Amino acid sequence: MTAPAWLLQNEIGLCPCGCIGKRSKGSYIDKTIAGGAGLIRQAMFAEDTASQRALLQQVDPRVKVVTLIGLLITAALVRHVPVLAAMYLGTLALAVASRLSLTFFVKRVWLFIPIFTGIVVLPATFSFITHGHIVVSLGTWFGSRVGLTSQGLRSAALMVTRVAVSISLVVLLTLTTPWNRLLAALRTMRAPRLFLLVLAMAYRYLFHLLGTVTDMFTARKARQVNRSTMTEGRRFVAASAGALFAKSHALAEEVHMAMIARGFTGNVRTLGPSRIVARDWAWTIACVGAAIVFLGADRALGR
Amino acid sequence: MHIPDGYLSPATCGAFYVAAVPVWATAGRRVKKVVRNRYVPLLAIGAAYAFLVMMFNVPIPDGTTAHAVGGVLIAVLLGPWAAVIAVSIALLIQALFFGDGGVLSYGANVFNMAFVMPMVGYGVYRLLSRRTSLTSRRRAVAAGVGGYVGLNVAALCAAVEFGLQPRFFHTADGTPLYAPFHLSQTIPAMLGAHLLVAGVIEVVLTTGVVAYLQRANLPVLRINHADLPETDADLVAPRKLGWRWGLVGLATMVALTPLGLIAPGGAFGEDAPADLDLHKYHLDAVPSGLRHYAGFWHNALFDGYDFRNDGHPSVGYLLSALIGIAVISGLIFAGYAIAQLMVNIRRRSTTAA
Repeated sequence: MTAPAWLLQNEIGLCPCGCIGKRSKGSYIDKTIAGGAGLIRQAMFAEDTASQRALLQQVDPRVKVVTLIGLLITAALVRHVPVLAAMYLGTLALAVASRLSLTFFVKRVWLFIPIFTGIVVLPATFSFITHGHIVVSLGTWFGSRVGLTSQGLRSAALMVTRVAVSISLVVLLTLTTPWNRLLAALRTMRAPRLFLLVLAMAYRYLFHLLGTVTDMFTARKARQVNRSTMTEGRRFVAASAGALFAKSHALAEEVHMAMIARGFTGNVRTLGPSRIVARDWAWTIACVGAAIVFLGADRALGR
Repeated sequence: MHIPDGYLSPATCGAFYVAAVPVWATAGRRVKKVVRNRYVPLLAIGAAYAFLVMMFNVPIPDGTTAHAVGGVLIAVLLGPWAAVIAVSIALLIQALFFGDGGVLSYGANVFNMAFVMPMVGYGVYRLLSRRTSLTSRRRAVAAGVGGYVGLNVAALCAAVEFGLQPRFFHTADGTPLYAPFHLSQTIPAMLGAHLLVAGVIEVVLTTGVVAYLQRANLPVLRINHADLPETDADLVAPRKLGWRWGLVGLATMVALTPLGLIAPGGAFGEDAPADLDLHKYHLDAVPSGLRHYAGFWHNALFDGYDFRNDGHPSVGYLLSALIGIAVISGLIFAGYAIAQLMVNIRRRSTTAA
C-alpha cells in the first residue's frame, strides 16, 4: 500500500537544528506539530519509494552504501564545475532509473541549496572575501577596486554543484533503501552490533515518542483559547520536553524488562547476510568506472 | 550547526572520523560499566529523545521560533558519555535516514555536537553546581549556563573547521575548493548568531527542563545524580582541609628547591646591571637611579645565595635556602604567637570585666 499523494505533499528536508529553516512567523505549537507530521511523511515517502522494484532498489544495500559513499568521496575530490555538473546529471539519471519523482528529487536539492548554500556562498564571490582577478567591477571602495572575482565565482559554483551532488547521492540512498535493510547493511559492514541494536531501537522508538510529542502539543492547542505569552510558551515547551524525558525513561525501563523477560543477556543475534549477486557486481563495476572517468576528466582539466 | 557534505575537504572529514573512534570506544566502555545491559534501551531511547529535542520549537522574541540542540541537557540527565552516544546516534539517523547533515561530514558533526558540546557544557555545569542539592535553583541555572557555553564552544569548533578550509584547500590561483570563508569571517559570523540567539534558546530549554524535573519528577533527575541530597538543608558541610595539608604543600616546595640548581639561565628581571643586554631593550645605559641602588644590598649575609668567597656554590645555595625557610617560618610563628597572645589578653580582659 502506498501513501496517498495529499499526505506526501512536497516539503523540503530542512536541517533540524534550525540554522537554515525558513523563519516564518507562526505558533510554536503549530510548527512543532507540523514538524512531527513532516518527519512521519518523509519516513513514509521513503518507505514507499524504497519498496518499488527499479534500478537502485534492487542493488544490495551493502553494495549501495559502499558505492554511494565512494561516489560521495569522488565528488569531494573533484575540482572542476563541469565534472560536478556531469555527476549531478548522472544522479538525475539514476533517480529516473529508480522511478523516483524527478520534480521531488530536484526540488529536494534545489530548495535546500538557495536557502543555505546560496546565502552562505554569495558573499564569497566578492573581492572582500576571495581575493583575485575582478571580473565584474562594482566601483571603488577607499581607493581599491571591488567587485566579483573570478576565483570567488568559481568557488561559489564549485560549492553549489558539490553540495547538490552530495545531497542527491544521499537522497538516492535514503529513498531507495528501506531503513531495516540499511541497518542490516551496516551490520554486515562490521559496525559494532550493540551500536546497531541501539540505532535500530532508537529509530523505532523515535516514532513512538514522536506520537507522544504530537499528542502533547495537540492537547495544548485544543486547550488554548487565546495566544499564549512568550513566557508561557517557553514554560510549556520546557515542561513538555521534561515530561517527554520522564516518559522516555519509563519506556526504557519497560523495554528493558521486556527484553530481559524474553531472554536478552547482552548478546545480539542477527540474521545472516544476504547474497551478493551478479547485478550487484555490475553496479559496483559501473560505479568504480564512473569514479575513474570523473576523476580522470578532472585531472585532464588541470589542477 | 549541522555541516552538510561539500563544505569540508575529504581530508578534514577523514580526520574527524579517526578522532571519533576513540571517543565512541571510551563512551561505550564508560556507559556499559555504569548501567550494564540496561544501557541498550536507555541509550536507544536517549538517542530518540536527543533527536526529538531538536524538534521542539521554542518561541523567541522576534515572533518566530527556533530549536535547541540539547546536547548538554542530555549530558545532565544521562551523564556526559551517554550523551556522546545518544547524540551521535541521533545525528546518524538524521544523516542516513532523513538526509539531513552530511554523511562524509558526520565525523565533524559528531565532534562538534556530540562530543565537544556535552563535554564542555557538562564540565561547566559540574563546576557551577558544586555543593548544591538536587532541588537547588543554582543547579538549574548551572545547567543552562552549561548549555550556553557548550553550544558556543561547539559553534566555535565548527567555525574553525570552516575557516581552515580556504587556507589549506585551494587551487593555484587561490580559488577556495570547499568552504570559502577565512577564520576572521567564520568565527564572528558563527559566534555572533550563537551567542545572541541560539545560545539563549539552549539556556531556555536546558534550564527549563531541569527546573521542571526538579518540581515534578525528581526520580528522573536521580539517574545521573544518584546520591545527591534532595534539599539544601540535607547538604553535609564540606570537610575543611586541615592545616596539615598546608604543611605537606610547603614541605613539597622545600623538597623541590634544589631544582633551582639545575635550571639554566637567570630568573627574569633579576639580572645584575652588568649582565643586562641593553640593546635588546633599545637602551644605551642603565638609568642612573637604578645603577645607584643596584649595589645597595651587597652587604647581605648570603649575597647571591652563597658564601662570601664562592667556595661551595651548591652548599651555599642549599644552606641559604634552609636558613631562609627557617627565618620566614620563625617570623610567621612569632606573628602567630603575638596574635594568640593578644587574643588571650583581650579575652581575659573581657571575662574580668
